[in-house]
Amino acid sequence: MAEKLLEIRKLTTGFATEKGLVKATDAISISVKKGQTVCLVGESGSGKSVTSLAIMRLIDYAGGMIMEGSIHFHGQDLAAKNQEDMRLIRGNQIAMIFQDPMSSLNPVFTVGEQIAESLRLHQNKGNDEAMKAAVDLLKLVGIPAPEIRAKQYPHELSGGMCQRVVIAIALACNPELLIADEPTTALDVTVQAQILDLLRKLQAELGMSILLITHDMGVAAEMADRIAVMYAGAIVEEGTVEEIFDHPSHPYTVGLLQSIPGFEGERGGELYTIRGTIPPIGQLPSGCRFHPRCPHAMDVCRSQEPPNFMITSDHRTSCWLFQDKPVQTDYSDEVRTHG
Amino acid sequence: MSTDHSQLVAQSSASASGTPDSGLAPTPGPQIPADVSKRPPGPWVVLWKKFSRNPYAMSGLIVLLVFIIAGILAPKLTKFDPAAIDLMFPNLKPGAEGHLLGTDELGRDVFTRLLYSARISLMIGFSVALASVAIGSVIGAISGYFGGWVDTVFMRIVDVMNSVPSLFLNILFMAIFGSQIKYMILILALTSWMSIARLVRGTFLQLREMQYVEAAKAIGVSSWGIIFRHLLRNASFPIIVNATLMVGGAILSESALSYLGLGVQAPKASWGVMLSNAQEFMLVDPMQAVYPGLCILLVVLAVNFIGDGIRDALDPRQQVTKSRRRLEKWRKNYSKSGN
Amino acid sequence: MTEYLIRRVLQSVLVIFLITLLTFLLIHAAPGGPTKVMLSPGLSPEVLEQQAKNLGLDKPIPVQYVHWIGDLLQGDLGYTFKNHIAVSDLLWPRIANTFILMGAAWLVSLVISIPWGIYNSTKVYGLSDQTASFISYLGFAMPTFWFGILLQQWLSIKLDWFPLSDMHSRGHEGDIGDLFMHLVLPVTVLALGFLASYMKYARSSMLEVLDQDYIRTARAKGVQERKVVFRHALRNALIPIITILGLDLPILVAGATLTENVFNWPGMGRWFVEMANSREYSALMSITIVIAVMVVIGNLVADILYAVVDPRVKLGKQGGKAA
Repeated sequence: MAEKLLEIRKLTTGFATEKGLVKATDAISISVKKGQTVCLVGESGSGKSVTSLAIMRLIDYAGGMIMEGSIHFHGQDLAAKNQEDMRLIRGNQIAMIFQDPMSSLNPVFTVGEQIAESLRLHQNKGNDEAMKAAVDLLKLVGIPAPEIRAKQYPHELSGGMCQRVVIAIALACNPELLIADEPTTALDVTVQAQILDLLRKLQAELGMSILLITHDMGVAAEMADRIAVMYAGAIVEEGTVEEIFDHPSHPYTVGLLQSIPGFEGERGGELYTIRGTIPPIGQLPSGCRFHPRCPHAMDVCRSQEPPNFMITSDHRTSCWLFQDKPVQTDYSDEVRTHG
Repeated sequence: MSTDHSQLVAQSSASASGTPDSGLAPTPGPQIPADVSKRPPGPWVVLWKKFSRNPYAMSGLIVLLVFIIAGILAPKLTKFDPAAIDLMFPNLKPGAEGHLLGTDELGRDVFTRLLYSARISLMIGFSVALASVAIGSVIGAISGYFGGWVDTVFMRIVDVMNSVPSLFLNILFMAIFGSQIKYMILILALTSWMSIARLVRGTFLQLREMQYVEAAKAIGVSSWGIIFRHLLRNASFPIIVNATLMVGGAILSESALSYLGLGVQAPKASWGVMLSNAQEFMLVDPMQAVYPGLCILLVVLAVNFIGDGIRDALDPRQQVTKSRRRLEKWRKNYSKSGN
Repeated sequence: MTEYLIRRVLQSVLVIFLITLLTFLLIHAAPGGPTKVMLSPGLSPEVLEQQAKNLGLDKPIPVQYVHWIGDLLQGDLGYTFKNHIAVSDLLWPRIANTFILMGAAWLVSLVISIPWGIYNSTKVYGLSDQTASFISYLGFAMPTFWFGILLQQWLSIKLDWFPLSDMHSRGHEGDIGDLFMHLVLPVTVLALGFLASYMKYARSSMLEVLDQDYIRTARAKGVQERKVVFRHALRNALIPIITILGLDLPILVAGATLTENVFNWPGMGRWFVEMANSREYSALMSITIVIAVMVVIGNLVADILYAVVDPRVKLGKQGGKAA
């Protein structure tokens, strides 16, 4: 099997709020292998974006911090690095694209300059060389007339174009891992499909791994090799895309799948919704964090937090319904079983 | 993260919606229906709670109250007449002959003059703020309600008023109309209503677009009533903040005009008049310049702290800045990388 | 760009026109009006009438206004009543003196406040930020003239480091070193006021920009934090600061008035107060107009700079290139 590129273990992140220091993610563990696409799926507020910021260590600038756990990338723990060392990795080995392409580009620099900056930073290219490479990158991400576009400012481009530019910036230094945080959410439906196609094509060409963050099970189905479902700061179910879609086990995953329009399980034309809302950060219920919204909640769910139960060697879920299955004792063991 | 798929948005429980007309108070979306029994506190209570927790604002309030009481009780607090000249005892040291802070070059009691100055300055400060709110609200309301050319004309006037330094206008007006206190109040108000007018106009423009105003018009209800009620609700707090800060500005303007000899005239006492005097006799008695200036500084600081306190109590962003300070501390204690 | 420029200039002209109208009407609405005040008392009615006629004060107000505007456009600002000296002869040297004072204070405050505000935006609630915030509060609440008087008492009378007032020592006109010594105290007073607001603007503008998505993108690219602040954030943060600098000109001018009075600086502001006290209407009107023009030009320059710095404001770009 392919080598693990990124391995997150028991990552706990926190934010300072009015009510004190609250956890945004609670001991989450996932790994991404070379060339693989892993999707983190969940509602807003589930901690999936925080996870991506933590990997990039941009969480430090967003008012949060990594409290515990490790993020191993090529065997180095990113969580323990200082910002200066992280800086050399960011945009070089790990790159990131964001949700809103229009606001993600600096309005006072041309798009060419913004792409070239990465190349100057990490590959020591000169101005002219970097600009030339930027034009090539614009061509790579499918922007017509790249020479002209490179000299334009972000406000002169459409949203889809801007997202292509953002992707070009991310790909500038041939990253091994691309983190895409809701890359299509802010775009029109037709453009969404184009961007996803582009990402898939580029992944095939460049052989990078992708950590895709989305709230959209449809996007996940299209892109993912593996899916991790997040709820209220924890991963409640994780497995291959086939396992998750064919044998969803956690009631939350089942609910998510049922709420996809036109998906099997939809009842009588009425759109399914999960009752209740995701608890706000810092106000977790006792026991299983999903039990107030769970249709199958039992006594044990109210008092005890479920461990990870191994449904197959490639599929774990954090739900008491599966207490007859073996408990995942140590994350590293689990990794070994399908490593 | 902010955009969410409609499917994932859960049906809100009936309690979460709260009262539809709770005005400025952010409806706390209670998760547990049991919370309904507790009525959410009104906006004034919330405001006061936050305000009273702000040490600067509270000390400002106390200082201002002290000055107001001192001004009102001036005749009771001193046995001297502020204008009484006693050439037998000029330039007395503090404490001599029963003069708490000594006497000035004409033998007038400095402490007494400070007390009576507080009277005049505060009276002018509050009157100007009130008059500005009145003028500004009327002009803003007319401008916002009628729109069109009326609006254009008024907003041009605002531009013109803003482009001439108000101190110059004040000097000009005072020179033309003569230095009487009633003119001074009017003139200071006439040069400071613009921000209130802008505020009220803005709120009006917003309200005009609102569905319920349209609906009210459609069924023939006078939209004035609705607009007025909502205006009070939406604009009253910003107006209060603005007016509070205006009190400080007016006191500064009054003292400046009086210092220049165009405001309050001797033998009446005003901090500005006293400073102008003190500068002449700087070589004889330097402390005379200290007291009145200190009084102005204290009152204006107090009023500004109060204004800022109200604004911060209204501003939800304040919470973030507070947390940022805490974050620094927590980061040292809990962050894995220590930065 | 050209089209935008023309529109803005026309707007400015309109504002200036309105100011002249407002000033003129105000002065003629004054109790007694200029007729009574301007004319020397104790003269016989015939002489008075003759004098009024000479000054054109017998004509209807609209006619007077047109005359005044006509003279104004030709650079004729009228004459003082007291000694019948041309207002323009008195005004221009004083404006120059005010510019020396204001310019120096402006430069000093900009050089200190903008970098300081930027630094504080990166270290919110640090010691430096707290100090700056304290100074801001003082700057906003302290009467400038009081600060001036305190400085005079302390640094001039007590320690004798700097001259008490005026622009030159007697017999030292044209001596730059002497002028510099005279500038120190008033510039300190003026600069404190500007410092307070500029620092706040720089800080809050930077904080707002540092919160933007594109700053996160820059960090995600691996840009050095120093470059994130000075390259990516600063250029965006400067855009609103430039506008505010233009809009703040009125405060600048007004601040100079008080400071000039405290330090007996022979500038426009002190002269204005003098003229106000002796009801010299021609002089008052002239100064008001001059200041209004200065302020309007300041706003215009700020707007144009805004369009230059911000690529999003490019109105009629092609037209600009073709021209």
